[in-house]
Amino acid sequence: MATIEVENVRKVYHRDAEELVVLDGITVEVPDGDYVALMGPSGSGKTTLLNLIAGIDRPTSGTVTVAGTELTALSERDLAQWRSRNVGFIFQFYNLIPVLNAEENVALPLLLTNLSRSERKKRALMTLELVGLADRSNHFPRQLSGGQEQRVAIAQAIVTDPSVLLADEPTGDLDARSAEEILRLLETLNRDLKKTIVMVTHDPRAAQRARTQKHLEKGVLVS
Amino acid sequence: MKFLPLVLRHLRHNWLRTLSTVVAMAVCIFLFCTLETFVEATKYNLKSANDSRLVTRHNVSLVFPMPVSYRERIKSLPGVKRVSVSNWFGGKYKDDMKLFFPSFAVDGEEYLAMYPEYLLDDAARSAFFKDQRACIVGQETADRFGWKVGDSFQLESFIPRYRKESPFEFMIAGIYKTDTVRHPGTNGTIMIFHYKYLYEATSQKAQVGSFVTQIEDPAMAVTISRQIDELFENSDSATKTETEAAFRASFVSLGGNLALLLRSIGVAVTFTILLVTANTMSMAIRERRTEIGILKTLGFSDGRVLGIVLSESTLLGILGGTVGIVLAHNMIQVLPRLPFIGDAVRGFPRLGLSLPTAAFGFGTAVLLGFVAGLIPAFLSYRARITSLLRHV
Ligand SMILES: Nc1ncnc2c1ncn2[C@@H]1O[C@H](COP(=O)(O)OP(=O)(O)O)[C@@H](O)[C@H]1O
Ligand SMILES: [Mg+2]
Repeated sequence: MATIEVENVRKVYHRDAEELVVLDGITVEVPDGDYVALMGPSGSGKTTLLNLIAGIDRPTSGTVTVAGTELTALSERDLAQWRSRNVGFIFQFYNLIPVLNAEENVALPLLLTNLSRSERKKRALMTLELVGLADRSNHFPRQLSGGQEQRVAIAQAIVTDPSVLLADEPTGDLDARSAEEILRLLETLNRDLKKTIVMVTHDPRAAQRARTQKHLEKGVLVS
Repeated sequence: MKFLPLVLRHLRHNWLRTLSTVVAMAVCIFLFCTLETFVEATKYNLKSANDSRLVTRHNVSLVFPMPVSYRERIKSLPGVKRVSVSNWFGGKYKDDMKLFFPSFAVDGEEYLAMYPEYLLDDAARSAFFKDQRACIVGQETADRFGWKVGDSFQLESFIPRYRKESPFEFMIAGIYKTDTVRHPGTNGTIMIFHYKYLYEATSQKAQVGSFVTQIEDPAMAVTISRQIDELFENSDSATKTETEAAFRASFVSLGGNLALLLRSIGVAVTFTILLVTANTMSMAIRERRTEIGILKTLGFSDGRVLGIVLSESTLLGILGGTVGIVLAHNMIQVLPRLPFIGDAVRGFPRLGLSLPTAAFGFGTAVLLGFVAGLIPAFLSYRARITSLLRHV
C-alpha cells in the first residue's frame, strides 16, 4: 500500500459567482519511502495539493489517504492530532515563532506529547544536532541565516519522527549554497531515515535530486 | 501549563504593550478597591447605630452649641430613660493629626449605661467615675500607642472654644473592648472623658454639641424626637432630634451619593479598560496570524489555540489585578494622612482593604482579562490554516 493515496481530488474555490477549479480530479500515489518533486508553474495548484496531503486543507471532493488514514473522514480535532504525529511540514518562509529560540521552536510539536520537559529538551537538542545546528540552540530566528532557519524548520518537522515530510518550496528563498545544504539534508532523511517526502519546487535542479518528478499544470497532473 | 512559557514569552516580548495594559487595569482595580473600602467603612459606622438612642443637635448645624440646661428638660420627658452630653472634643495628640483618634466629652455614668457595646469591667467603671480627669479609651487606640490602665496623656482640642492655656490632662481609667459578634460595627478607637472636666476647665463656657437620649421603647423614637424638638422650638437654640442611625446617616448621605457617582465612574472605567484590553489582544493576535497558523499546522487543535490566547489575556488580568490590589492596599494606609480626605476617613474604624473587596477587585480583573480575550480567542479558534498562512 502506498503511503500517500490521492484519489480523484477536486478543489474548487468560489469567487463571487465564478468557480475557480484549482485541482481538477487529481489521482496520485506515492509509495512508501519515495521522494517526489512536485513541479509546475505558479498558480497550478501545487501548494493546494500539498496542503491536502498534509491535512491542513480539505478537498471539495475525492479522498486523501496518508499513512493508512483517510484524512477526508476525520474531524478537525482528529485531523489536528493526526498531523501532530504523522506529518512534518516545511514552508518556504515562516516556520518559526520569532519569540522562541531554535531549541524551543524545535520542541514545539513535542508539547503535544506526554514527554517530560527534560525529555523534550533532550530530543530537541538531538534533532538540532542532526541538522547540524547544535551550537545554535539558543539563537532566535532573527539571529539565524535563511539556510539555518530552514534547517531549524526541518528539525521541527522531524522531531516527532513522522513518516511523511512535506516541503513547499523549501529552497525557494535561499542562496545556492544554503539550498544545497537543505537538499542534502532532505536526501539524507529520505535515504537513511526512510522518510517519504513530497517537495514542491520551481527549480529543475532541485527536482532532479528527488527520486520521482511529477508535474502539475492548471490543476491536472501531466506526468 | 506547558504552554505558559510561550504565553509569557509573548507578554515579555511586547513588554510595553503588556505594561500599559497591566497599568490601565491596575489603576481600574485600584480605584475600585479604594472606593469600595471607603464605602464599606461608612456603612460599618452606620451598623453600630442603635434605635433606642436619639441624638439632639442644634437645628441649624452641628457646629452651633446648645445650653447645658437642655439636659434636664429632655430628661423630664416621659419615656426618656437617660440623657448624656456628647461633645465632639476634637482632641489632638502631640499636636499631630496623624495620631488622631476621636474623643468625646460625655456624662460618664449615663453614657456608659447607654452604650453597652463598650465592654468594661466594674473596676474600670468605678475608677472612671471617681476621677474627674479619668478617661476610657478603646482597645485599638490603646494598642496603637501602647497605653495601659493608669497611663496619662495630654490632648489639645482644635476647636477654639475648647482651648485653654495648657493642654487637657487625662488618666486612663479603663480600656474598653468590643464584641464584633453581639455589637458589630462598634468603633474600637474612641476616647471618652467627663464633660464636667471640659465644662470646668473652660470656665463653664463649654456648651453642648449634642445630647444622646436613651428611650424606653424604640417604637416611640419618632414621637419623643418630636417632643424634644417642641420643647425648644421657640428658644434661641432650636433643636433637631433624630435616631442615632438617622443622625449618622445624615453624615454619610453625602458620601452615599458620592459613592454612587464614583461607582458609576468605576463601571465606566472598567468598561473602557475592557475595550482597551480587548483591543490589545486583537492587535496581538493579528500580528500573530502566522504563528497561529504554524501552531495549527503542527497539530495544535483549535481548542488548544483558543486556550493559549485566553490564558494570555487572563494572565494580563491576573497581573493587573495583583498590581491594583497592592496599590490599593498601600494607598488605603496612606489615605488618613492626606489633607481633606484624611480628615474625612480618619474617624472610620478599621479602615483597611478587606478580603472580600480585594477578592472582588481581583476577580473583576481576571474576568476582565478573560472576557477581553474571548473574541480574539474565538477568531483564532475559527481561523483556517490556509487563510492564516496565505501570503501576498
Ligand atoms: N483560499 C483561496 N481562495 C481563492 N483562491 C485561492 C485560495 N487559495 C489558492 N487560491 C488560488 O488557487 C490557485 C492555486 O494556488 P496554489 O496552490 O497556491 O498554487 P501554487 O502553489 O502552484 O503556486 C491560485 O490561482 C490561487 O490564487
Ligand atoms: Mg505555492
